[in-house]
Amino acid sequence: MSDLIIGIGKAASAPDVGKTEPVKEKRRSDATFADLLQNKIQKINSLQVEADQAISKVALEDSGSVHEAVIALEKASISFSTMMEVRNKIVEAYQEIMRMQV
Amino acid sequence: MDFSNAFRICASGFQAQRRKIDVIVNNLANINTTRTPEGGPYRRQIVIFGSEPITDTFGDVLDESLKLVTVDRIVRDEKGAKMVFDPTHPDADNKGFVAMPDINSITEMSDMIMANRAYEACVTAFDATKNMVLKTLEMGK
Repeated sequence: MSDLIIGIGKAASAPDVGKTEPVKEKRRSDATFADLLQNKIQKINSLQVEADQAISKVALEDSGSVHEAVIALEKASISFSTMMEVRNKIVEAYQEIMRMQV
Repeated sequence: MDFSNAFRICASGFQAQRRKIDVIVNNLANINTTRTPEGGPYRRQIVIFGSEPITDTFGDVLDESLKLVTVDRIVRDEKGAKMVFDPTHPDADNKGFVAMPDINSITEMSDMIMANRAYEACVTAFDATKNMVLKTLEMGK
């Protein structure tokens, strides 16, 4: 996913070959967006792992409460759907750029 | 995340109502208990709920108006025992009366239904919050 974003950044900065300064700046800001996305994905992944642990606690160890497991699951599910929404927007933007007439 | 406050409050509600159900089940199970470690018949137990503010930046903004429900303490009913005439019982006194726990099963059952309904209300609130978040994600489609 982050490669894709960096790819978009490269494509967007391609016309500015002559000027080095703005390209650098643009690429740096794109990298921070990729970093942000990666951070978010890691956070969402940790929520998934939390939900996994809560479920195994209830199912295997017979400790921990059911409602906590379900709440962890719901949190993971909601954060995942939020991430999917963001991803859809990014892919949409990418496709919009690819459709552009050169 | 902004919705996790609602989820945390729901979770505290679940926890509190489950604890209440535990205590009610305890009362119902011990309705005929005449021997306890502290001596005498079993005493009915009552759950007392308290609230504690969510310690969160969001909670701070709202001047700690968001509160989690907690089980403050579980107290023993100070009502005396119920004297039942049963001379054949090993714990009967010399007049033939046995000190039985003063537990009314109907009161306990209605308390149980109330705890159940409160739990269901928490589940509904949880679902409503979740639906709001999911509806927000559908925005702009």
